[in-house]
Amino acid sequence: LDENGDSWGMLACLCTVLWHLPAVPALNRTGDPGPGPSIQKTYDLTRYLEHQLRSLAGTYLNYLGPPFNEPDFNPPRLGADTLPRATVNLEVWRSLNDKLRLTQNYEAYSHLLCYLRGLNRQAATAELRRSLAHFCTSLQGLLGSIAGVMATLGYPLPQPLPGTEPTWTPGPAHSDFLQKMDDFWLLKELQTWLWRSAKDFNRLKKKMQPPAAAVTLHLEAHGF
Amino acid sequence: MAAPVPWACCALLAAAAAVVYAQRHSPQETPHVQYERLGSDVTLPCGTANWDAAVTWRVNGTDLAPNLLNGSQLMLRGLELGHSGLYACFHRDSWHLRHQVLLHVGLPPREPVLSCRSNTYPKGFYCSWHLPTPTYIPNTFNVTVLHGSKIMVCEKDPALKNRCHIRYMHLFSTIKYKVSISVSNALGHNATAITFDEFTIVKPDPPENVVARPVPSNPRRLEVTWQTPSTWPDPESFPLKFFLRYRPLILDQWQHVELSDGTAHTITDAYAGKEYIIQVAAKDNEIGTWSDWSVAAHATPWTEEPRHLTTEAQPAETTTSTTSSLAPPPTTKICDPGELGSGGGPSAPFLISVPVTLALAAAAATASSLLI
Repeated sequence: LDENGDSWGMLACLCTVLWHLPAVPALNRTGDPGPGPSIQKTYDLTRYLEHQLRSLAGTYLNYLGPPFNEPDFNPPRLGADTLPRATVNLEVWRSLNDKLRLTQNYEAYSHLLCYLRGLNRQAATAELRRSLAHFCTSLQGLLGSIAGVMATLGYPLPQPLPGTEPTWTPGPAHSDFLQKMDDFWLLKELQTWLWRSAKDFNRLKKKMQPPAAAVTLHLEAHGF
Repeated sequence: MAAPVPWACCALLAAAAAVVYAQRHSPQETPHVQYERLGSDVTLPCGTANWDAAVTWRVNGTDLAPNLLNGSQLMLRGLELGHSGLYACFHRDSWHLRHQVLLHVGLPPREPVLSCRSNTYPKGFYCSWHLPTPTYIPNTFNVTVLHGSKIMVCEKDPALKNRCHIRYMHLFSTIKYKVSISVSNALGHNATAITFDEFTIVKPDPPENVVARPVPSNPRRLEVTWQTPSTWPDPESFPLKFFLRYRPLILDQWQHVELSDGTAHTITDAYAGKEYIIQVAAKDNEIGTWSDWSVAAHATPWTEEPRHLTTEAQPAETTTSTTSSLAPPPTTKICDPGELGSGGGPSAPFLISVPVTLALAAAAATASSLLI
């Protein structure tokens, strides 16, 4: 396993390969009362992942060492990375239609999962590799859940347009420090995406709340 | 006959002297403003007068003792806040005003305390500051907000002078915000800065209009309702969850309930007849911290008869305690006046118990059919 700039190139190439894999088919659930429960499940998954990431990121940043594990570490974002950015203009975010909202989430996590798998290959300790692998599995589950929601709502899974997928560019050789910076931003972006997704799925949940839920609550209030 | 004439003469002289005096104290003699540190020693020279000039010093119109003088200079040792005032030195014989000093005794500013909070997420956040100890003299503050390398405008609060507001342009940012404040006054300056992520400063205002009501015919229930804080701009997209705490006034330990939805809750385990205090707090579902506790609501669960004076209430409470306070009532029980053992109830207990049993059986049957 080479440790210079080529590793990022190989990673990008791998991401391109994974990107072109056929879409995850939606689970066939009988008697499913609309997308509500699967949206709830997706929401719950983002919360679970966010919780899992907190301990994983803490461990990984300690492994990277200072200054990455310092709470006040506030580096400028050079913009050299190709990570999907969660940040969005407030009004634009508000006015996203359901399809776009879901698509952006799906695309983001596809990319992030790819980069995370790359991280896993380079991680030094077995403990870290185990935690990362576990997280990747959970993240794969989230992707599947989002795909399920999209399928239920009749939205096609995003197929990458030529030129938008992460392509292999022979960039300058990454120094050890810059590699660590990339890792730092990956974890930061992942955390931010999980917070954003919770809000995204909250919005979707509210829009698709089935009326049956109100009746169930009413019965519970009477103590039966 | 001769008396009024010298009197008028004196009046005229006095008026003339006043005019001359006023001319001598024309605006060219505005006091020199001076700031000095609390606890320090200061020597006030009498303007440009020679050291050996004969002068008298006054503070706020009161003469100062000559032992404070060093020649024509006034010496003040160990300045205290009470030393602040208008000091004036006069030529001893002519009472001509030579110099005035408006002295302010104070301190240089210590490091300011700065905090930022978003109670209007996702609209924006505000920062507020204060000095840990007073300086006793005027201070000016300067706040700068940086988002990465971008400078953001912090608009002054219209009402509070130690607060300013920032509007979010982008959400879900990975770049931290850095807020710096510098404070300065005539005796020194100080500064501090804080850095934070967008999500960590989210803290809603407490829920509003918390109302607790007894539930008729239910001696162990209290219905609590509240509203989301009016400052939270978008509860639909950014829902809040709530935390309710309640206790009877006579106990110290709180009961807690966390509610992920809705702005109402029914307490079902209240002690009969006891006044309760109830508070609610709010938090964004996923990010930030809990709000402060709301204004407390007070309520007492429904009791059958009107509240008596304390002497009569004693026997009523002992009989009810066996059925209501210690054991939770079964859910299928229908509230029957007979079980409360009130003094004013019917005096034939055996007649009452039969319908109660029948009612219980009917309720149980209904309940079991609903539970399928």
